[in-house]
Amino acid sequence: MPKSIIRGYYEDLEQKKLNGKKCRKCDKITFPPTAMCEHCGSRDVEAFKLSGEGELLYVSHSMAPPPNPRFNKLAPYAYGHVRLEEGVYVQAIINGVGIDPESLMEYYQKCPLKVVTDIIEAEGLSILAFKVK
Amino acid sequence: MKNKLKEPVYILGVGCTRFGNLLETPEIKGLTLQEMAAEAVKEALDDSGTDPSEIDAIFVGNVTMHTSTLPATYSQIAKWTGMQFKAGVHIDGACSTTNIGITLGAMGIASGVYRKVLVVGLESTLSQPKKLSPYDRETIPTEEMWLWTDYCVNQAYSVPQGYDIFPTYNGIIAQAYCKKYGISIEEFEKGMFELCRTRRLHGSMNKKAIIQETLEDEAKRLGFDDPYEFWISNYNPFLAWPSRLRSAVSAADGASAIVISSEEGIEDAPNLPIEVKGWGVTISDLPWYEEDPTYMHYDTLSFEKAYDMADITSEQIDYLHVHDCSHISSICTAELSGYLPKGEGLKYAEAGRLRFDGDRPMSTHGGRHAFGHAWAASAGADTYEAVKQMRGLCGDRQIKKAPKISVIHTHGYAMVSTVMVYGRR
Repeated sequence: MPKSIIRGYYEDLEQKKLNGKKCRKCDKITFPPTAMCEHCGSRDVEAFKLSGEGELLYVSHSMAPPPNPRFNKLAPYAYGHVRLEEGVYVQAIINGVGIDPESLMEYYQKCPLKVVTDIIEAEGLSILAFKVK
Repeated sequence: MKNKLKEPVYILGVGCTRFGNLLETPEIKGLTLQEMAAEAVKEALDDSGTDPSEIDAIFVGNVTMHTSTLPATYSQIAKWTGMQFKAGVHIDGACSTTNIGITLGAMGIASGVYRKVLVVGLESTLSQPKKLSPYDRETIPTEEMWLWTDYCVNQAYSVPQGYDIFPTYNGIIAQAYCKKYGISIEEFEKGMFELCRTRRLHGSMNKKAIIQETLEDEAKRLGFDDPYEFWISNYNPFLAWPSRLRSAVSAADGASAIVISSEEGIEDAPNLPIEVKGWGVTISDLPWYEEDPTYMHYDTLSFEKAYDMADITSEQIDYLHVHDCSHISSICTAELSGYLPKGEGLKYAEAGRLRFDGDRPMSTHGGRHAFGHAWAASAGADTYEAVKQMRGLCGDRQIKKAPKISVIHTHGYAMVSTVMVYGRR
């Protein structure tokens, strides 16, 4: 029976693991994982574990209610642009950051800041999030 | 990629309804989507002097089928517009849909298969059918509309993990722009105020815009003598810090239509045909940017392809519209296109240079904020404005010297970056 890549990603997150794929042809990382290398389309890929460490480059928020009901209990939240130490860019919820203009101005001035993954649960699904180290 | 048209293709006529709310706006109130689309088609057929029998194919677009309940637009809009038994298909390139339709139709014409093609876009973002009624509609909550619209975004990983368009497409880009060019947040606020003021001025001069009130008049109506005090008040909260609510899209209902033709179809055209000189289309899933959120690589590729096919340079552009759901993103795109110098966009806005009477006119219909945004119909509305400007028919907001080259850029969620180059003969 084939195993869903998407299911595997979220099950790995539940175990606090960030797993992507690395391409043997172009040497680039696909994270989160897809069926083929997202950069060159090669199928010659291997499992690749990411450290979960990186830098928060920017962080903002949304004034609107979250469109996806999964986040009704979590919202409002800060949402940031992160460069993982493997060179992969992701956007995710940033735990512990206030969304008032004063807090966001403070982070705007202080960024880039070291962050580490801080997996949270949203309606039964483990999802990628970060916290400032 | 050869990136050349074998034969020239022309826009013969354009149509566009007023953008507004099907439940409130007088010009479209009470219409169904079939009827609203037919209004735009009738205008385009009249504008082009085309009888429905001359149309060989129709490309009809719609994004949120939850509000239209029309996934098979091809047959249903054909029946409502006298286009039965043509070739046709439903298309969806999100907010680029109608211009994607022009590229598909143009390829059909340039290849010698079709002579004339009709492109239609229709959308309701504000209401859905009431219960099972074929004509009554009811308001939908804003978050529900975004939930459906976000079906266009990465459903495997981004949406389930907290993706939100406002920080991704507004706040983060705004912060990056300020840092990159050494602009203070206060300077950014003033620049965005002026940019909104320009768009609202254009909307106030356009009877088809969803918002026809200037920013100054709105401020006065709400008790502010100084419109900038209004800008930084709680009436205009941070949508995604440091971007405010009035620097973003106004969701709307609307329809647009375009008739395109081979060269042999333009001889009897009642109005000036506009040449489709070239285009560039590039897709990208998230992330839309990497280290520098002001730079979207796929837009670079789209502009390069379009300029190459049209054989123009950015110096030749007389009129530009870029996708402006997010005003700061639109400034980044306009700078990327070469129409504005890097890091100068907000200064140009403050100096009034982006107004219809400025030396770098942009979005003279009012853009996504003042004209409004009806997803699949909007790219056609942008093309509608470009055609009218090039024909010199925009009345009070007419660019003094009618543009010879117009460029229209759209971001179809998420993303299909589309750049169209139109030329006046």
